[in-house]
Amino acid sequence: MQATQQQEQEQKASLEASISAWIDGEADIRPEDLDTPYGRKVWDTYHLIGDVMRSEELAIKPSDFLYARISRAIDEEPAIVAPHVQPARRFARAGLSSLAVAAAVAAVAWVAMPYLTASEEAAFQAPVMAAQEAEGLYDYVAAHRDFTGVGPIRQVSFEVAGGDR
Amino acid sequence: MNVALRRAAYLRRSSAMLGLLALSMLTAWSVMQPVRAAESKALPALELLQKMQHAARTLDYSGVYTYQQGNSVMSTRIVHVVDGTGERERISLLDGQPREYLRHNDTALCLLPEHKLVLKEKRDSERFPAVLFDEGDRLPAHYEIALSNSMERVAGRSCRVLTLEPKDSLRYGYRFCADTESGLPLRAQTVAPEGVLIQIVFNTLEVGSKVAPEALAPSWNTKDWREVEVSVEEVDLASEGWRIPLPPGYHALKQVARQMRADRRVKQLVASDGLATISVFIEAYAESGNQPREFGPMRKGAVNFYRKRIGDHWLTVLGEVPADTVRDLAHRTEYVPLAVP
Repeated sequence: MQATQQQEQEQKASLEASISAWIDGEADIRPEDLDTPYGRKVWDTYHLIGDVMRSEELAIKPSDFLYARISRAIDEEPAIVAPHVQPARRFARAGLSSLAVAAAVAAVAWVAMPYLTASEEAAFQAPVMAAQEAEGLYDYVAAHRDFTGVGPIRQVSFEVAGGDR
Repeated sequence: MNVALRRAAYLRRSSAMLGLLALSMLTAWSVMQPVRAAESKALPALELLQKMQHAARTLDYSGVYTYQQGNSVMSTRIVHVVDGTGERERISLLDGQPREYLRHNDTALCLLPEHKLVLKEKRDSERFPAVLFDEGDRLPAHYEIALSNSMERVAGRSCRVLTLEPKDSLRYGYRFCADTESGLPLRAQTVAPEGVLIQIVFNTLEVGSKVAPEALAPSWNTKDWREVEVSVEEVDLASEGWRIPLPPGYHALKQVARQMRADRRVKQLVASDGLATISVFIEAYAESGNQPREFGPMRKGAVNFYRKRIGDHWLTVLGEVPADTVRDLAHRTEYVPLAVP
C-alpha cells in the first residue's frame, strides 16, 4: 500500500502538469483523465487562477473568503464532463501585460491573507506579555501552551510594554 | 507582442501557479506521511490515531469543545475549513476574556479586543483536535495502544475508544474517542494514575458541507487595531553549551528564543514523545526584577514544574507529565560553556 500511495502522489503530480499543458493548449486533452473529482478541481482551480490574472477587476477587490466560497461552490458544482479546448484562449493569455500579471499575483497573495490589513505599523518591537492575574509561573505555562496543543489558547491577558506598565 | 515578451508572461504565470500548486501539494503530502508510517507497523489502533490527526487537518468542521482540568472549565468554538489555499481556522474563546484566534496555514493571529490589538505569529504546532506532535511512529515503543470494540456516544455522534497506556512512568496515559464517521477525536483525555487529569470534549460538531466558510470571519473589524508581530528566533541550545538529556522517547520539536514579559528574554526547548510534551526554559538569573523566585518541584493544575538555578541561569522544566519526569530532566541538565579561545 505504501507503493500505491507513492504512485498516487506521482500520478497526481503528472496529472497537474498535464492539466496545465491542456489549459495552455500545449497538449491534447484526455477527458478520461480529467473526469475525476481531483482532475476537475485542478482544472477549475487553474482556470480560476488564469481568470484572476487576466482580469484587473477581479484582481482589485475580492471580498474576504472569496477563495473559500469559490472553492465550496466548485465542490458543489455538478460534474463537468470533457470540457473543450478553446484555441483562442492562448492568444488572449498572451496579450496579458506583465503589469497585470504583477497586480494579479499581488491580488492572489492578498486573498490568501485577508486579515493582514494595512493597520498602523507597529513601530515598537513589542514585548507583548504579562499575565496580570497570574503569578510569574503562569507565564511559563502560557509559553508552553503556545507550542503544545492541549489546553485552551491564550487565556492570559496581555499588556503592551510601555502602555499600562 | 513579440515572442520573448509572451514567453516572459507565460513564465511568470506558470511560476505563480507552481507556487500555489506546491503549497497545496505540500499540504497533501504532509498529511499523507503519518498514514504511511502506520502501515509499516500494521497496527489498526495506531492507524486510527493517525486518521484522527489527518481528519483534524483535512476536513471541514465546526463545533464547540470544552476543556476541563480540575475545577476549571473553558469552552471554545472552532471552525476549520480547507480551501484551495490550505487550512483556515477560527477559534473563539466562549468563557472569560473574549479572544479570537485566526489561523491560515502557519500564520496565526490572536485578536485581543480590549486592547484593540492583533498578535501575529508564525506557528506550525498542533492544537486540538489535532493530537499528535509528530508522525506518531514512536508511540508503540512507549505505550500499549489498544482499540476498544465498544462504541460510545459523544456530542450526539458515535465514536470508538482508543487507549494508550504508558509502558513506563515518564508519561501519562491517553484515551481518545474517535468519531466513527469522520475520524475526528470527539474526546481526548489525559489519564494520570489517580484518574483523568485533563479532558477536551466536543459538545457539538458539524462535519463537511454543513460548515459555512463565512463562519471564519472574525467578530470584530480589526482595521484600526494595532498589529504586533510576536517573534520567536530559532536557537541551538547544545551549541551554547547546554546538555539537556531528554527522557527516553522524547525528542526536541523546537528550540527558540522568545520574549517573556517586557524585560525578560528566555530560551525555550519543546520536546515531545508524540503525545506528551515538555518545555525547558532557560534564562539569565537576575538579582532583581519580576523573575519568579520559586524553585524545586511545583504543580499548577495538570502541569508539573521543576525549577533550579544553574550558575547564572534559571532552569524551568514543565509539562503535562509526571513530576519525576520534569525533576529528573532538571537534575540531569548541565551547562558546559564553551571555552573562549
